[in-house]
Amino acid sequence: MEFDFSPVIDYLPTLLQGVGVTLLIGLAVTVMSVIGGQIVAVISLYTRKVVSWPLRFFIWLFMTTPLLLQLYFLYFGIGEWILIPAIVVGVLGLGFHYMAYNADIFIATIRSVSSGQYEASRSLGFGHLATLFYVILPQAFYRALPQLSNNMIIMVKDISVLSAIGIGEMVYVSQYAISVTFRPFEFYITIAVIYYLINLMMEAGQSWIERRAAYRR
Amino acid sequence: MTQTTDTPMVELKGVKKRFGDLEVLKGIDLRVDRGRIISIIGPSGSGKSTLLRSVNNLEVIDEGSILLDGMQVNRPDLKGLAYERHINHIRQNMGMVFQHFNLFPHLSTLENVTLAPRKLKGMNASGARELGMELLERVGLADKAQAYPSSLSGGQKQRVAIARALAMQPKVMLFDEATSALDPELVEEVNLVMKGLAEEHMTMLIVTHEMTFARDVSDWAMFMDGGVVVEANTPENLFSHPDQERTQHFLRKHLGAQA
Repeated sequence: MEFDFSPVIDYLPTLLQGVGVTLLIGLAVTVMSVIGGQIVAVISLYTRKVVSWPLRFFIWLFMTTPLLLQLYFLYFGIGEWILIPAIVVGVLGLGFHYMAYNADIFIATIRSVSSGQYEASRSLGFGHLATLFYVILPQAFYRALPQLSNNMIIMVKDISVLSAIGIGEMVYVSQYAISVTFRPFEFYITIAVIYYLINLMMEAGQSWIERRAAYRR
Repeated sequence: MTQTTDTPMVELKGVKKRFGDLEVLKGIDLRVDRGRIISIIGPSGSGKSTLLRSVNNLEVIDEGSILLDGMQVNRPDLKGLAYERHINHIRQNMGMVFQHFNLFPHLSTLENVTLAPRKLKGMNASGARELGMELLERVGLADKAQAYPSSLSGGQKQRVAIARALAMQPKVMLFDEATSALDPELVEEVNLVMKGLAEEHMTMLIVTHEMTFARDVSDWAMFMDGGVVVEANTPENLFSHPDQERTQHFLRKHLGAQA
């Protein structure tokens, strides 16, 4: 068979729109899952069991069930009662999913900050919460960075799963283009290359952040 | 709430502390007048570190009382937020220096020093910076203001930790084996900073393994063993003519030919 990339060129604006959607969702999910992950970690480490156990149950639930199932549940399941726009379901579903994974990392890195740090801060006269905020969490965050950025690289690829609920990200728009042009290979190869480039950029960003964080640990 | 000059800066009365079944402090009495320097020596497990950590309530004592400048430190009657407010206020008046420095690795040297005055005293950025630089100057590390702790030597870290503790302008400084984790050649630079503080009449409680330093710098020396103060005296007497056999034995081991 022979390759013909001219349909890809024709559909480039559509594809780029898909890339834009993927990147925006990626950004939203990163912000939500990193901030939310820290909050969940702090609550599950420092509150009474009444609060922390249900939260841990949710972390466990999100980590032990497939993302696709979670998305279907939110979109079609809960959608029986309230109709939530697909994009909101997508961001929330992916956000909660990775929030659970990130919380798991933060729980470990918060625990890894030595008790000496806590004592030093308390001995200066900082309270428990201030110590958490100024001393423990920043250190836990720097320590979490390598695994966090790994999670975010995996997450960006998982955005393709959102095509299942009709969100116009990269894979979804290419499916549409293929259904019109019948050139699956060309589109899939193009999408793969774009994913590869996004990953390359994220890895560069990761090592840049890593270098800046290294001497702060 | 500063008391009259004859109120002791730190006073311990019948302090007892248990870890489970083990009684590590068996009724300690101690009076530290302002401007005085007390050294506490003794073998590991003697309770000397626990005693020091009790002074700012990092260890909560089971019996007795601890006073800082007339204010009760241990307050078993206070719970929750009321206790937090009380103990944070007390601790802002005491500087503590740890064996393992415990500098905040995510902050620069200057930020380590200025964090507490900025956040706890509401000092503005330029005022805190000025204070921080002044303190770093004092410990000889003004040129390291922008460095991060990971790039400092042990001796430098401990000097920064001292500057950090001084930034809250404490009434008393507590040193918990401040030089024990240092390579021998780095001990002197930390000792020099502590001697500087002594010359400025800072009230200090020093738990140490450095017998020579304790003898040179302190006004009063205590030998602890098994949770009790075995012997307390002027450093000249304690180190040169100890009365108790346990003290003699300990000093023979640690001072060697000097004793």
